[in-house]
Amino acid sequence: MFTHIFIYRFKCLIRDRQLVFWTLLFPILLGTFFYMAFSNLNNEETFKPIDAAVVNDSAYQQDSQLRMVMQSVSKGKDRLFNLKTASNQAEADNWLKQDKIDGYYTSGEEIKLTVKETGISQSIMKSFVDQYRTSSSAVTNIAKKNPKALQNGLLKDVGEQRSYTKEVSGGSAEPNNVLNYFYSLIAMACLYGSFWGMKEVTDIQADITDRAARVNMAPVHKLEAFLAGSCAALIILFVEIMILLAYLQFGLNISFGQRTGYVLLTALIGSVLGISFGAFIGAVIKAGEGLKIACLIVVTNLGSFLAGMMYMNMKYLIATYVPPLAWLNPVNLLTDAFYALYYYDSLHRYALNMGMMVLFIIFFCAGTYLIVRRRKYASI
Amino acid sequence: MTIVMIVNDQRHLPRCGCSITLSTVGEELLPLIIHVKNLVKRYGELVALDHLSLDIKEGEIFGLLGPNGSGKSTAINCILSLLSYDKGEVEIFGRKMAPDAYDIKRDIGIVMQNVAVFDELTVYENIDYFCGLYVRNKAERKRLVEEAIAFVELDDFRKFYPKKLSGGLLRRLNIACGIAHKPKLIILDEPTVAVDPQSRNKILEGIERLNAQGATIVYTSHYMEEVEQLCSRIVIIDKGRVIASGTNEELKAMITLGEKITIEAFSIDAEQLRQMRELPGIVSVEHIDKRLIIKSGKGTNNLETVLDFLKTHQIGFGRIYSELPTLNDVFLEITGKQLRD
Amino acid sequence: MPVFKLCMKIIRKNWLSISLYIVIFLAIAITISMSTMSEQKKSSSFSQEKAKIALISEEKTPLTEGFRQELAKSSDFVKLPDRTEALQDALFFRNVTYILRIPKGFTEDVLSGGSMQMEKTVVPNSTENAYVDINVNQYWNLARIYAKHEPGASQQQLVKQLKTNLSGSTPVTIRAHERAITSNSFSMYYFNFLAYALSAVLIMGISTVMIVVNKRDLSRRNFCSPLKASSINAQLILANLLFATASWVILVVFCFFLDSKSFATQNMTFFLINSAIFTACVASLSYLIGNLMKNLNAMSAVCNVLTLGPCFISGVFVPQEFLNDTVLKIASFTPTYWYVQANARIAKLTQFGWSDLSSIIYSMAILLVFAVAFAALSLVIGKRRRLTN
Repeated sequence: MFTHIFIYRFKCLIRDRQLVFWTLLFPILLGTFFYMAFSNLNNEETFKPIDAAVVNDSAYQQDSQLRMVMQSVSKGKDRLFNLKTASNQAEADNWLKQDKIDGYYTSGEEIKLTVKETGISQSIMKSFVDQYRTSSSAVTNIAKKNPKALQNGLLKDVGEQRSYTKEVSGGSAEPNNVLNYFYSLIAMACLYGSFWGMKEVTDIQADITDRAARVNMAPVHKLEAFLAGSCAALIILFVEIMILLAYLQFGLNISFGQRTGYVLLTALIGSVLGISFGAFIGAVIKAGEGLKIACLIVVTNLGSFLAGMMYMNMKYLIATYVPPLAWLNPVNLLTDAFYALYYYDSLHRYALNMGMMVLFIIFFCAGTYLIVRRRKYASI
Repeated sequence: MTIVMIVNDQRHLPRCGCSITLSTVGEELLPLIIHVKNLVKRYGELVALDHLSLDIKEGEIFGLLGPNGSGKSTAINCILSLLSYDKGEVEIFGRKMAPDAYDIKRDIGIVMQNVAVFDELTVYENIDYFCGLYVRNKAERKRLVEEAIAFVELDDFRKFYPKKLSGGLLRRLNIACGIAHKPKLIILDEPTVAVDPQSRNKILEGIERLNAQGATIVYTSHYMEEVEQLCSRIVIIDKGRVIASGTNEELKAMITLGEKITIEAFSIDAEQLRQMRELPGIVSVEHIDKRLIIKSGKGTNNLETVLDFLKTHQIGFGRIYSELPTLNDVFLEITGKQLRD
Repeated sequence: MPVFKLCMKIIRKNWLSISLYIVIFLAIAITISMSTMSEQKKSSSFSQEKAKIALISEEKTPLTEGFRQELAKSSDFVKLPDRTEALQDALFFRNVTYILRIPKGFTEDVLSGGSMQMEKTVVPNSTENAYVDINVNQYWNLARIYAKHEPGASQQQLVKQLKTNLSGSTPVTIRAHERAITSNSFSMYYFNFLAYALSAVLIMGISTVMIVVNKRDLSRRNFCSPLKASSINAQLILANLLFATASWVILVVFCFFLDSKSFATQNMTFFLINSAIFTACVASLSYLIGNLMKNLNAMSAVCNVLTLGPCFISGVFVPQEFLNDTVLKIASFTPTYWYVQANARIAKLTQFGWSDLSSIIYSMAILLVFAVAFAALSLVIGKRRRLTN
């Protein structure tokens, strides 16, 4: 009996093209759009050597110290500048106007920087000369007070620029914030799965459809029928989410971290969450179908928005200023579980998210059970 | 395929013939299929069922007749334990009906007022799905589904999705889904609402055939003609109460009206009208828009009396019709209102 | 004008959902435009860019305090709780881009010429990382040199010395080229985002009307009436244009309220022309969709894909300069791309000569071609459908 109902519910659900579109095709399309739009965002952040120029006038020719420093920071893989040498100021100005360089230096009594606008590259250029200038003035200062210092290797010490920082990674994964868009997308797809859950309730509650009344009249335990249907819904949704995950991972190269097993577990819990949420709403709201659908759409979309799907910083703002909302938003919980799996080495936060989702699932299932188990209705 | 089906049908006929004789011979001895006693259902202040009692015997085509909103569907849903009720008892096949009385449910087939099928499943799949809720054995189920498809003549449409079917075909599918498992008791709740006359006749014929095959039928409708034509016993309900019950003839016998005679294109004076009212057997005479409506009591020669009177008084007349009373007249006489509002 | 009136009735019946759309889009448009709008910088003087840093110091010495003050010139400090996850979160969401931890005993070690290092956690390879590194190393290198060659000085003296040493600033000249008020302004982002709002509202509204009107029996009844087919079409188009115009006006008026400064500029005229042409283009696209689709449910799927897709790849949500070339090539087959491109150029206009305007007019012309093509296609398809269906 279970298999019979399961097979037919499976057919019923999978042939609902609308639902298949919203739970599978739409997330895949949206993911593709995200990928196309965001693929360069991270590159945009990475440091690229700054296009700088120096005016090659007589003052620069004479300042061998500066020339040497300039040359040393403009070569090699980790160079600071792509340095061009302008024969005169007019040429440099022209380059600047044409956006060929971010700024240029003119040496003299004091090194001057000319730029077109304020920006990070220009600030780096300025900091660089600041550093050069302060080092020189330090030499002058020290030599003035303590002439012996020059013999004690002052210049060598100045020349030897040490790095006082060492990079320690926060975790094993790069803080690639674009990922959050894709994680929240999966969460959205799971929650769209609530439509499957709602459909199951609709087709088992005799006070909603006549089809369901007919099923209620058959010599089949209602919960058995409901369970068989929900299993069909869950399997469809889970497979859809797997397809989406596979597409993101292999098609778009989105990283989910190393713990594949946990990622799959999260997808499964997310699917259960979606189905049970839809079933719950379907059972609790007695009014028309329109209201139920509106409710699912609002929760899913608002949830996705707050989880940062449309605007990433939203997630951070909510977590910082209204933490309870982050814990009560199922889309955020799911997004955060994927994020925690990717980003943190410890599973602590992941476990918290999963625990919270399980609580939600228990709540939704219990609520649905209390309503669905009733088999006589006060009105039809 | 079709030929095989016909053979199948014929093979079933003898067995069904037996049950017909059984039911006509020993009517009183037959067990009650449905026994309903003092059923009360309230929706807040509104009393939908008011101490409703029904007894339906095996082999009957039982008609539940009443205007829209009289409580027919409520009664059916309460009997089926889909609706909770405030008071009363319901027994089906001699056992108490409950939502988990699966032995009882196994032998019931229901056809809902609205078409209750899945849009995502084809005609065949829909019937197979509902049949599969009753019958586990695959081979047997296949046979039953094929029979049901042949029965409602949807053979050419088995791969169609419900959205592609016309209204009449959809109703037939709706019926097939309810009867494929060969139930002993079939409950049809207004199965012909909004169906074209041709499909309606097909449906009614089908119901008679099902009955002939041995099923007890409960049929609710507000179309009195259908009920008159089809049902062996009729209960008329209004405001959740039984107001009359019996065979078609018994019901009509309950009322005083024997015949209604209408005479067209008529001019008559008041004196003649008065004289006419005093004719033997005449109950009432009304003169409306050049039409004379004469109601007479039971008797065989009322029309003759009237015609004689017209001739003697040299009153000219056009067409004359004589009608026997309908269930509507029964309803009208008992409740004072028309069956169809 | 019975058909026209019918359309108006259908629109009025769906008015609530359409206006809901407009409200939602306005809300989103405003938040997004606000948040993406980079702060208006005064072009006359140079201000140093500041990096967002979390500085966690495990010791407090005069030197670390001096360092903090010095670093404040090039950085904004963000206070964060010293918990791994909070720090990691902040880094992930770019609330900070550089987390620096000064370990205990660091000052002592530097002064005695040791090789202790501070720990930094950063967004790898980022520009800000390079920027902060320069400033951090500069301070401690100087400290090391002073400490070595003036061994007698106390930490306080050292800090003072460093402060004077670092106080000077390299003179920066800004070769100011004239900048348009609208450049990077709210208006520019708002008009870009308008592409999304307009597409969604128009496709939803117009297609809904067309699907209802095109329902087979209804449309046959229309065409059986003594009205000329051309008149029926004209009325339909008129009704849809009216709806499109109304939507455009409503959406544009809000820009006036929110960024009145830009509204007085000549650039605004071009923004308006550009968006009006785009409106016409989307309206005729919607008309085409309405003629192609039969089903209202499938409609919302199509509407979503057709509005979101082009907007993502054409630079409505992410500016065009951040998109890669392949994506932009694909995008150039959509009208949205040309609209956004024209917008970006209009925003930067400071002169309005032919040479400045030519590329903008070119984009607008392409938009017009799109509009005409959609309209022609929908007339042909509409006619064929009527005859075959």
